[in-house]
Amino acid sequence: MSHVYRIEIFPNLDNLFLNTQNEESLKNWFLKYMDVKITAFWEVKTFLVETNTPIPQIADLAAEVFTDTVTECLMTSIDKNQTRLFQFLKSKGFNKPSLIDVAFRPGVTDNSAHAALEALKLLPALANIELKVSSGVMYFVEGENLNSDLLVKMAYEKLANSLLHKVSIVPVTARMTDLHFPNVTIEANPSKTIDLDVDSKILIKMNQENCWALSLAEIEHIKKYFIALKRNPTDVEMEIIAQSWSEHCKHKIFSSEITYSESKNIPAGVKALGDLKINGIFKSYIRGATLKIQEERKIPWLISIFHDNAGIVRFDDNIDVCIKVETHNSPSALDPYGGALTGILGVNRDILGVGLGAKPIANTNVFCLAENNYFANNQISLPLLLKNPDRIKEGVHQGVQDGGNKSGIPTVNGAFVFDRDYVGKPLVYCGTIGVMPKIENNLPTCNKGQRPGDLIVMAGGRIGKDGIHGATFSSMELVDGVPSSVVQIGDPITQKRLGDFLIEARTLGLFNSVTDNGAGGLSSSVGEMAQLTDGAIVHLEKALVKYPGLSPFELMVSESQERMTFSVAIEKSSAFLDLAKRRSVEASIIGEFTDSGVLDIRYAGIPVANISLYFLHESLLPMKLEAHFDLEKSSKHWVTKKITKPKIPVQDWGAILLTILRSPNIRSHEHLVRRYDHEVKAATIVKPYTGSKEIGFSAPSDAGVIWMKPHGGGADNALAISCGINPKVSRFDSYLMAEYAVDEAVRNAVCVGANPDEMVLVDNYCWPDPIPSAKNPDAELKLAHLVRASKALYDISLSYGMPFVSGKDSMKNDFIGKTKEGETVKISVPPTLLVTAMGRVPSLKCITTSEVKNSDSIMYLIGEDLTQYKCAFELAEFYEDYEVTYPFPNLDTTKQIELYRKMHQAFCQELIESSHDISDGGLLLAVAEKIMGTVFGVNLALSDIPLVQLREFFFNESAGRFIVTVNPKNKLKFLEILKGFAVRELGVTTSSGNLQMGDTPIATGAECLSNYKYLVEGLV
Amino acid sequence: MKKSEIKVIVLTGDGINCETETAGAFRDEGVSATIMHIQDLIDNPKVLETAHILALPGGFSFGDEIGSGQILALKLKYSLGVELKKFVDDKKLVIGICNGFQALVRLGLLPKPFEARTMTLTHNRQGHFIDLWVELNVGESCCVWTKTLQQKSISLPIRHGEGKIVFAGNSANQMAIYETILSGGQVALTYNEDVNGSYQKIAGVCDPTGRIFGLMPHPEAAVSNWLNPDAKSKNGSAGIGAEFFKNGINYCEAHF
Repeated sequence: MSHVYRIEIFPNLDNLFLNTQNEESLKNWFLKYMDVKITAFWEVKTFLVETNTPIPQIADLAAEVFTDTVTECLMTSIDKNQTRLFQFLKSKGFNKPSLIDVAFRPGVTDNSAHAALEALKLLPALANIELKVSSGVMYFVEGENLNSDLLVKMAYEKLANSLLHKVSIVPVTARMTDLHFPNVTIEANPSKTIDLDVDSKILIKMNQENCWALSLAEIEHIKKYFIALKRNPTDVEMEIIAQSWSEHCKHKIFSSEITYSESKNIPAGVKALGDLKINGIFKSYIRGATLKIQEERKIPWLISIFHDNAGIVRFDDNIDVCIKVETHNSPSALDPYGGALTGILGVNRDILGVGLGAKPIANTNVFCLAENNYFANNQISLPLLLKNPDRIKEGVHQGVQDGGNKSGIPTVNGAFVFDRDYVGKPLVYCGTIGVMPKIENNLPTCNKGQRPGDLIVMAGGRIGKDGIHGATFSSMELVDGVPSSVVQIGDPITQKRLGDFLIEARTLGLFNSVTDNGAGGLSSSVGEMAQLTDGAIVHLEKALVKYPGLSPFELMVSESQERMTFSVAIEKSSAFLDLAKRRSVEASIIGEFTDSGVLDIRYAGIPVANISLYFLHESLLPMKLEAHFDLEKSSKHWVTKKITKPKIPVQDWGAILLTILRSPNIRSHEHLVRRYDHEVKAATIVKPYTGSKEIGFSAPSDAGVIWMKPHGGGADNALAISCGINPKVSRFDSYLMAEYAVDEAVRNAVCVGANPDEMVLVDNYCWPDPIPSAKNPDAELKLAHLVRASKALYDISLSYGMPFVSGKDSMKNDFIGKTKEGETVKISVPPTLLVTAMGRVPSLKCITTSEVKNSDSIMYLIGEDLTQYKCAFELAEFYEDYEVTYPFPNLDTTKQIELYRKMHQAFCQELIESSHDISDGGLLLAVAEKIMGTVFGVNLALSDIPLVQLREFFFNESAGRFIVTVNPKNKLKFLEILKGFAVRELGVTTSSGNLQMGDTPIATGAECLSNYKYLVEGLV
Repeated sequence: MKKSEIKVIVLTGDGINCETETAGAFRDEGVSATIMHIQDLIDNPKVLETAHILALPGGFSFGDEIGSGQILALKLKYSLGVELKKFVDDKKLVIGICNGFQALVRLGLLPKPFEARTMTLTHNRQGHFIDLWVELNVGESCCVWTKTLQQKSISLPIRHGEGKIVFAGNSANQMAIYETILSGGQVALTYNEDVNGSYQKIAGVCDPTGRIFGLMPHPEAAVSNWLNPDAKSKNGSAGIGAEFFKNGINYCEAHF
């Protein structure tokens, strides 16, 4: 007989009167987005406790755990008298409150409940009683015209996610009665064989029903393999194969054979590549460039690249550094918070699982999102099923915040990119940098060393139904009816314990190898590790589970988070398990590595899979694809409405500048960024914002700089981390888009003091589906964009001599849905390439930040005037009478890298006081950003530029350019170093705080800052 | 006692995450600082007898899921309560930074050891986490950790979501509690501006002996001027945060 208690945590009488900030923002949300006026609103946290033994003193026990007596009090279902609640409700202004009760669905990761259970078990009275805990939130709501239907709608709009939560509208007094604990009640199905000897129509149907996401050719390939074995595959085998061959794990598009051609009428200025036959983009362009650079430059510091979970380089005399950037787009579309949280925790595990394990020291994150304003202001209705883009923004931001902060990893660099075409699939890029000793216990830490006979140990989280088919799902476009098991929430504390344990166990030499359980779960982690020993045997029933009832295939492919798989020598296993126990990390021996050549999976002794590793990993032939570059073949854009805009205020530079400072892609996101801890670990030298103390550090930095000393590295050594991304150029040419992205990342890192000759790159592609189908008529163009972007990466990385050390691609970033009118609509992301650069700052004296430091310094433009172009993207965004036209300025990459080397010299000789890149918004914007965080101003002297060219001079965007300030006493030395490069004196910094041109004021620094920060609220 | 004999224990585990820099801040001053997992201390509580300083670093212990520092405090209370009482009775030093401060308050060591809770740290006025360098005023107090900094204005980073100090009871009670700790010289640190809604802008509080100190800002993240947010002041000298650790160690040198 089970007993269920409900526990509710209220503020006490002394703290009752005020609404919290959170309650206020929820009220505002409902008014803004749903036009619902709420007069009273109250958010209260709840818990359910289930036990077999009655606990009459639960109220007192729970009070000690759940409440802070200074501010809170507690109500439980034991206390039948609810008079106190009604008094409370009255004082909060309620007359007839409605109640929305939000609870987790059975089996969903519930971090509050985990913590609560652990806390309750600390109490001596409960230590030996079996308990289950579940958490929830209830909302008392009162307002105009509320009814049950509307309350449910409000709940799912903002307070809950139907995939994760159960929402009930209950009478206030009824909430404490008839309590049910959300237990998982499922039953395991035994493994079964699957008959593939059927016609292709049925195979296609089976493929869809089972979420395999395989192509017909692949299923035929599997069929042939099993016919030769004279048997049918089991469901477990099919699941293992499906996830191993998913686009997400196998990167089939990047290894496909591509025939590329171009139309005859490509626009002037677009680089023609001619006909190409590409034997794998990854092999030819990405790894191809890196291997070539490694050989040509004889680089000794590339330690481990492309084959492990992250790239490892030697940028320090004492320690090695590794980097990885991942995307988590589809999960973030379904549950923005959980998707982003598991994204960041997932890439942290990549670092923990590289070599013998590295310690994460910094995170990066880049979001590509849409904004509700655009659609609302222009009366464009979103297709059905799409979430409000602002909710996505809030959710993914909160996810990255919790993931980084709760793990104690500083978020040092990132970007917010806005484009309406991200409304279907948001892009969530999460990166992590880690450090590891070069040698530990006489072994290089960068190498994995699993051996036949080693035990397979799974540690960290438990397996549940959550996260089944994640790998295959992310390889499919987003459509109605997705099973809810693909959504999951991360558990930062379980992972923090796992990560701390991992590093401690590595230091003690307790394991031989490790990898993370990411996409594909055990199937993927054991499958990959087994390749090195050539075999493994797994006993699935030994894996720790969240609840009983999981079928063998689910145990094998579940992507339940926070798990790592270790290879542990038998003689070390008891020490390993003992340490795990003392660190509150759950671990279980689930099998052993062998050299049998097969992946041998059993459940309770019964074989459920027996697949050759060769078949699994080597037998699939590359796809053959066609790419054709013809911009006219582009599908019609999903938004057809013409948007009305004002005309450009003629030669009113100040008005234009202040307008574009408010652009989504330019304005400050400081209120969001300062919610990330960017300096835990006490090593962040250049932080996301800089400026002078008097103004309060509000100007954007170009890159993050991390000091190596606190991480065991050199005392005078640092790492710069930066990013470059420029999807708006994709519409014109993905080649240039990729070139700009690389250059921006590199230039940002150079700006803060990194050495361009000790710099590595990470590529992350997020593409619209380039595989042709009836639903995807312009696939050949999308693939052509992919080829062009990749060729650009190849070309520029060779010119810059900068290797790629890691990368990832996400290839199905499309949304297919229906409009209110029932029409099918497809929204594809623009081809988007994020480039992350990591460079060594060889001495702390090379570090420079973006803001002007002194008056009477000379401000220089490094780079050409570029007035002959029309590429002021922000003018086109805001004004009717401006159109961006091709061609755009191209980079002379050979000369550009020389410039970066010279600039680096000047930085290290401390000749440059401040430096900032020119990117979105153009030159004048960059000038404004340099002064607005300071007490200084600048007087521009541009009399030699004709007035008619000033607009282009001020607002054209391009790559390759900087704005710096130099103390006059260093002028000659500085110019001497930059001899042969375009350098233009722009003016002189002043103490006025104003941006002016001769006697003509353009704007004050304060005006610039207040427009830049116009959405920054609630900081202090 | 010689500096080299001073022993510091820096707690870690269960989501604490500033242990490395906190231990580093002590080590920079030339003392031995051991990072110790809570479980190891529970398994071997005698270690506390040989230590002179216990540091509870910042972090998100137990994910801060039920009140920040709450479960860490429960765990310490039920597994190390006796030893901690002895440690305090033996006039040894305790510092809690950020999440460590929250845990000290919930453990009942601040503002006055082993008395009913009169003070707590709750959600910032803004309702969310914030990372910002703030100006602080180091008050005249009995705090041994701020001895050389008193009456100075300093900059330190804050990085918390629950740093707002509130006192128990109605406003008269709150005022009375505040005045007691103020007159007792326990208000060791205040913000120059209202950054999180904290009562009377309090940022750090010590116990009546001045040996137990809790503060929301992070001195361990300001031990080198390279970490300053202001580019012009970045250099290789020791940062202002180092003074806190120096003072703690000086006290041990003089008194043990």
